[in-house]
Amino acid sequence: MKYTATQYAKTLYEITKGRGEQEIKDDIAGFLRLLVKNGDMRLRDAVIKRFGEIYDAKNGIIEAEVVSREKLDAAMIDKLTGFIKDKYGANEVVIKNKIDEKIDGGIIIKVGDELMDGSIARQLAKMRNKLIA
Amino acid sequence: MNKDYIIEQLKSQIKGFESETKTEKVGTVMEIGDGVARLSGLTDVMASEMLEFPNGEFGVALNLEEERVGAMVLGGYDGIKEGDQVKSTGKILSVPVSDNFIGRVINPLGLPIDGKGDIKADESYPIEKIAPGVITRKSVHQPVQTGIKAIDAMIPVGRGQRELIIGDRQTGKTAIAIDTILNQKGQDMICIYVAIGQKESKVARIVGELTERGAMDYTTVVVAGASDPAALSYIAPYAGCALGEYFMDKGKDVLIVYDDLSRHAWAYRQISLILRRPPGREAYPGDVFYVHSRLLERSAKLNEKFGGGSITALPIIETQAGDVSAYIPTNVISITDGQIYLEADLFYKGIRPALNVGISVSRVGSSAQIKAMKKVAGKLRLDIAQFRELEAFAQFGSDLDEATKQKIERGKRTVEILKQGQYEPMAVENQVAILYAVTNGFTDDVEVSKVRDWEKDFHKYLKSSKKEVLELIASKKELSEDVIAALEGAIKEFKEVYQSGK
Repeated sequence: MKYTATQYAKTLYEITKGRGEQEIKDDIAGFLRLLVKNGDMRLRDAVIKRFGEIYDAKNGIIEAEVVSREKLDAAMIDKLTGFIKDKYGANEVVIKNKIDEKIDGGIIIKVGDELMDGSIARQLAKMRNKLIA
Repeated sequence: MNKDYIIEQLKSQIKGFESETKTEKVGTVMEIGDGVARLSGLTDVMASEMLEFPNGEFGVALNLEEERVGAMVLGGYDGIKEGDQVKSTGKILSVPVSDNFIGRVINPLGLPIDGKGDIKADESYPIEKIAPGVITRKSVHQPVQTGIKAIDAMIPVGRGQRELIIGDRQTGKTAIAIDTILNQKGQDMICIYVAIGQKESKVARIVGELTERGAMDYTTVVVAGASDPAALSYIAPYAGCALGEYFMDKGKDVLIVYDDLSRHAWAYRQISLILRRPPGREAYPGDVFYVHSRLLERSAKLNEKFGGGSITALPIIETQAGDVSAYIPTNVISITDGQIYLEADLFYKGIRPALNVGISVSRVGSSAQIKAMKKVAGKLRLDIAQFRELEAFAQFGSDLDEATKQKIERGKRTVEILKQGQYEPMAVENQVAILYAVTNGFTDDVEVSKVRDWEKDFHKYLKSSKKEVLELIASKKELSEDVIAALEGAIKEFKEVYQSGK
């Protein structure tokens, strides 16, 4: 029987849930032995990535990528954190700031595979389409 | 008009522009190649939903897997790279439709490629649609006049029928389809010619011919050329059919030519293999039968309650060295309501259209034939069948009895009469007249080599001095006694004139 990375990650989450530090160490050692035994070590990167996603989802942690033209200041980050918390009902928001001069201004928020494009570049493109039509 | 006014207008337009920011679902390109992209993300994407790639091209989600989505790109895929963002549109792939498409040449996405400017669309129709159900349909009962004697007499096509045209390369398959379109002038029929993977030069020639003969007034040409991506070839027939459905829903009669479905199957095979769907027989994917059956099922004759429109389909299949038992030919033969079989041997013998009458059939068309034609056609079929049987004997040149000889001679003339040049469609009343003449022995005393000239002059004579006979056949649509009397009178009179004229 073959297992997918998602199945491994889910299992790892289930066994480590609510365990102490020492116990987790043992769990992970056992988990790695299982991976080796099943010959699935090549899945390790995918499992790590998946585990991160599952852990975040279960604990209401959201990772948001925010693209802006200039580096965001602390006040702006606070505002964004509040907004994203409200929108997704999350407990905690981790904001990754990415700088891209091509967007001209405004911001783009990306959470998971959802995207809110509030960049000036896109608005200009939209206006252009509307005026031509 | 002063400049201030223009500036004011511009300002107010810009002021009135409101842009709202909405949440969109996006995915990321993991790999791309050969017109197929693999994407991650896009959690809520629907099957056959349109996707937007960053280079402005659209794509269609085909494979929805656990971790990723396989999509084909409808257009050029250069400029798309790994890590690019792909937006979902929330729309199932559809094409614009309207009456303005008549007379135009478009690509499978509904964009004009004839350089005559934009086409204003009224609506958009999904390219995949479930075919009309049982209660909406009616059996085929009105004829599609192809203008080709051999077909109209022996392999009649009705409105709403699916008649396959099958044969090797260079046997005149497209010619039959184009002649049929040309003959729809004034028959209240809208024609759609779908070129799938055809050479652009061939398409240009066909469009030129249709324009010159005035057939573009009621025809749309949908082109997925040989250099276009396989994805466009794959959706072309569905797009053509969606346009046809728009007209059918308005109660119109539509004729669609799919030229050709072999290439369509190749395009689908290419996409499927690149998407890593398992190959089956001849490397076609398992659902290649359904690809064609769901397309051809959309041809229908609707009953009056549903507008009474119809879609008649003339799919074309190219065989390799006459092999009709290959995978795609057998599939499409079993789906359609009959086939017109063209043979290379006959073509080189000079019998054109190179129709093999013996194995060409129409399963439903006979109920759509006018009565007059039915009467002459029955005898014609018998004559030809007997001729084919006796022809082999005649090769030995041994003494034959009078009856046999006479049958062979009659057969030779019948074969001559059924020859017909390209772009020479014939009205049904003329067909009835000449077929009546040949089946009742009026041509037996004409030399075989002169039969075609005789026929030409006969039609000329009917047109110039016996118009009333043609009108009588056209209006009565059956061979009642008075019609027969008038027709025979006309033939006899012509023969006298013809004899003395020589």
